[in-house]
Amino acid sequence: MSTTDHQSGWKNILLRYETLLLAVLVVEWLFFYHYGTTTNRRGVFVGFGTLDRQFDILRHSCEIGLLALALTPVILTAGIDLSVGSLLGLCAILFGKLWRDGGLTIPVAAALTLVAGALGGGLNAGLITVLRLPPLIVTLGTYSLFRGLAEAITHGAVTYTDFPASFLFLGQERWLGLPTQAWLFLPVAAAVWLLVHGTATGRSLRAIGFSPEGARYAGLPVERRVALVYVLSGFIAAVAALIYTARLGQAKADAGTGYELFAITAVVLGGTSIFGGRGSVTGTLLGVAAIAVLKSGLATLPVVIRLNAAEEMSGMLTGALLLLALTGSILPKILSTLRARRQAG
Amino acid sequence: MNRYFREISVTIALGLILLAMAVLAPGFFQPQPLLSLVTREAPTLVVACGMALIIISRQIDISVGSQFSVCSICAGLLAARGWPLGLVVPAAAAIGALLGACNGMLVAGLRLPSIVVTLATMVILRQGLNLVQQGAFVNLPDSVQWFGLSQAAGQWTLVGLALALLLVFGLAMRRVAAGRWVYAVGTDAEAARLAGIRAQLVTFMVFVLMGTLAGIAATMNIVQSPQVQPAVGSGLELKVIAAVVVGGVAISGGRGNVWGAFAGLLLLACVSPALTHLHIEAYWEKTIQGAIILLAVVAEGLRQRKSKGGRE
Amino acid sequence: MRDETSTALLVLQGIKKNYGAVRALQGVDFDLRAGEVHALLGENGAGKSTLINIITGARSPDAGTLTLAGRPLGALSPALARSLGIACVHQQPALFAELTVAENIGLRLEAGGAWRRVDWRRRAAQAAELLQRVGAEFSADRTVRELSMPEQQLVEIACVLGAGSRIVIMDEPTASLTRREQEKLYEIVRSLRAVGTGVVYISHRLEEIRVLADRVTVLRDGVSVGTSAVGEVTEPELIKLMVGREVSLTQRAAGATPGAVRLAVKNLSCIAGGVRDVTFEIRAGEIFGLAGLVGAGRTELARTLFGLTPADAGRLQVDGRDIAIRSPGEAIAAGLAYVPEDRRRHGVILEMPIAQNMTLAVHSRLFPGGWLRAGPELSVAAKFIGDLSIKVAGPDAPGASLSGGNQQKVALARWLATKPRVLILDEPTQGVDVGAKGEIHRIIRRLAADGLAVLLISSDLPEVLALSDRLGVMRGGTLTASLPGDSDPHTVMAAALGQPS
Repeated sequence: MSTTDHQSGWKNILLRYETLLLAVLVVEWLFFYHYGTTTNRRGVFVGFGTLDRQFDILRHSCEIGLLALALTPVILTAGIDLSVGSLLGLCAILFGKLWRDGGLTIPVAAALTLVAGALGGGLNAGLITVLRLPPLIVTLGTYSLFRGLAEAITHGAVTYTDFPASFLFLGQERWLGLPTQAWLFLPVAAAVWLLVHGTATGRSLRAIGFSPEGARYAGLPVERRVALVYVLSGFIAAVAALIYTARLGQAKADAGTGYELFAITAVVLGGTSIFGGRGSVTGTLLGVAAIAVLKSGLATLPVVIRLNAAEEMSGMLTGALLLLALTGSILPKILSTLRARRQAG
Repeated sequence: MNRYFREISVTIALGLILLAMAVLAPGFFQPQPLLSLVTREAPTLVVACGMALIIISRQIDISVGSQFSVCSICAGLLAARGWPLGLVVPAAAAIGALLGACNGMLVAGLRLPSIVVTLATMVILRQGLNLVQQGAFVNLPDSVQWFGLSQAAGQWTLVGLALALLLVFGLAMRRVAAGRWVYAVGTDAEAARLAGIRAQLVTFMVFVLMGTLAGIAATMNIVQSPQVQPAVGSGLELKVIAAVVVGGVAISGGRGNVWGAFAGLLLLACVSPALTHLHIEAYWEKTIQGAIILLAVVAEGLRQRKSKGGRE
Repeated sequence: MRDETSTALLVLQGIKKNYGAVRALQGVDFDLRAGEVHALLGENGAGKSTLINIITGARSPDAGTLTLAGRPLGALSPALARSLGIACVHQQPALFAELTVAENIGLRLEAGGAWRRVDWRRRAAQAAELLQRVGAEFSADRTVRELSMPEQQLVEIACVLGAGSRIVIMDEPTASLTRREQEKLYEIVRSLRAVGTGVVYISHRLEEIRVLADRVTVLRDGVSVGTSAVGEVTEPELIKLMVGREVSLTQRAAGATPGAVRLAVKNLSCIAGGVRDVTFEIRAGEIFGLAGLVGAGRTELARTLFGLTPADAGRLQVDGRDIAIRSPGEAIAAGLAYVPEDRRRHGVILEMPIAQNMTLAVHSRLFPGGWLRAGPELSVAAKFIGDLSIKVAGPDAPGASLSGGNQQKVALARWLATKPRVLILDEPTQGVDVGAKGEIHRIIRRLAADGLAVLLISSDLPEVLALSDRLGVMRGGTLTASLPGDSDPHTVMAAALGQPS
């Protein structure tokens, strides 16, 4: 991983962790392309290499991808946000309620949902920056709180459905050749990329992640910056909630349960250090893609189809991949220790 | 400021809730439902003891829920094959210890961050279990139910067992050198090393202990119902972390004790039955639990702010 | 003169140690006798800390032998070293912040298995007795987190006393102690010597070594370059051994005529920071030195000026304009710059490339609209690498790869890049080798000559006296004396101690 946020020099690029991850992704893709079945049980062509399959992968990875994007700046500051999955659920419910029970139009309800997401993130931000509480515990609390509110609003039973086709278009149709939600995902990804790699704000996030006290002594507005990433995280979770609702055509209180774990996995797999400071949005996107391709690809392997275990296999492999990535990240340190020992002996 | 302020204040909060219940809904104190409630929470208490140790040693283990599930299913399968409980319990504990050792190896041996390691093992264990079990329940022989005793006797046995473990850990963490080492390592691993404590070994052992307790807790859980379902224990990790944190164990390590975790667990466990008796709908439970966690950390934050003296 | 062979307590021969590519020790010979205080001298980076770590078993040497009382030692661990009677008072107290003083002492002193019972009553009694012996006035029930730095140091010393060790290592123990505490410490060291303990005493203060030590060994670049009795060697000779060349502290430059008042501070107070009613002025082109003992409130005053612990009373003027500073950002906007005392934690961000470190405080000027641009950043880095002659592989090198002196220059560069009007320097040469020290002094002079107002905080009295045009002395959070720059050291020290001179 490079320590600079200006990316320059071919040698530099080749040695980057992201390049390695990209290679893994390509190998993974080729593997499924070669070994995956080309027809499903009804004899319909479902080859892994088809454009449809790629779009399908994109469609299904949008929500977790968004949460992973939201978490990247958070983890860069050495923080964590466990509440994103719950906030996604709460926002989905709020949206459904505002639209159906509140009688608002879809755009107004969506706008209010986005505001609610930012407010939810703002709650985290306030507790973390004003009271200086550890993010892990604060967001563990709001993880419970947001999900609880979603259950309380729906009485644990109500499901909002029958959204108009114009809204479902966002989650289920294509626009200009791409799945519609990609047109939301890509700008968000570009914006987060620019924030992290292209702006002074992103630079200060790294500084805070490396050393919050050092950043304060350098005159950086540490509290404001940290607050920003949590508010942003809440806002993006709300965007994900809208896409989720549109894709499934329904809003339930359990929407997005467990998503935070997949998102964190994607971020860490993408090379962002859980200790803060180091990491890249490109890595996160590759991490999301690696997980999504794995999940989708496994479903095409004959042996997995026979066992009916795509979900489980992809989960296990993702976990193993995460451990592997972690071990890999400390490998240089271990090797240099060993080498020093050998030289001494 | 009193060193046990947090433990005391949580106990007072618990007392106030119980007092309020006594006034507003005396029905809460019927012995049988109360015993059932405490029995249901007994396995959770055992896991919470382990989690308290983990957090005191400045680590975290979010794979306990998955460990609990794996141990439950394994114990269930063994019991279904006709193993006597006397063998099932140690077997489950051993399986748990093995799972804990895996986490411990990765965290203490390779020095990887525990939050990510246990996130990975959580997913691997959970999905592995789903893969093998495909969601199927394990039916248990009748002899396993309540240890083959009457329901009341079984319930009392479970509660007694959990309290005995609590007592052992509570005393050991205060009065045995190894217990103090856990605090020392959690406060400052490097200083511990300089004081001659093998910090990595302590960390490893704490994870092994966590797994062992998850295994024991799993068997304490399966005896309560005729079937084991694979989803048992999902979400357990957050429940026990919440209990431990509410009970005053500092996430930054080195502070807190299992008594506080016990009070925290009771406080959170009371919410749902209390709601029922106060005729508040039960779906507010999670909201209130979340609010309690936040309240506990906010109180701690404000207190630390106030007592922050000369030191930066 | 005692018989050497019979009383040689600890003998180190040909000790070598590498950290990766860094050759920390390249053959050190050292011996310690029973009942002597053996001072260890050397610049920062000479290998003193590594040597301590090897003696205490915290690190194992790559080559060389350790002999304890005639018996060769194999692989040493902290636990084994302790059981052999080796104890260390660390410079940064290695205590357990969340635990009580009694438990800290207990954990250090008690030996035995994991399953033994902890006797809390005995712990408390032992701790109380030891605290009394070191002259500590706090209770053993206190949590270490609540103690001040010198108090924590006393706990460390209590641990060592309690261990009844044969060998005691003291790593700059007086660095953060008050004068009274220092005297108490000297007393303890002498009593240790009297009972036959061997003391390895590490200090930068030559005068301290003169009054306390029997012999002195000098380390330079990981090699022991000489050992002699303290009475047989002069201070210039020691300095020469340390640096390998003769240096003299440069004399005061004739002060340039200062300009208009740059910074005016009137009745400044900050209760949380412990700053009371401070009033002073600094003119453009002037170096205002701030002397005082550690804990006198000098760093706290700097932190208040810079908005890290905002003032709750008083007035602040820069160039005659009233300003209010509630955050470091506002301080920077007002033209203040602060190079903090703790370089590694606050001065530079070790993991960040030095170019990024240097521009961290000038984001808004360098990156209009907030967009990063490589060009201006690299030109700032190149300018200061040249101007301050920073030795570095390149602007992308992380801060951690630099030596202490070069890190300090990077910290300085970050603040010079803000084009400040007032520069606050807090212990700018602490832990910096002699060569870099001289360079930093020249830089400070040059900056003042260019019209900057400099507030110089330093515990190095010769340094303050050599650099300052005027100086103030702080005690108990307030400015107690204002003296001319050519005052003699005794006057300054008397003011710092609060005694009539």
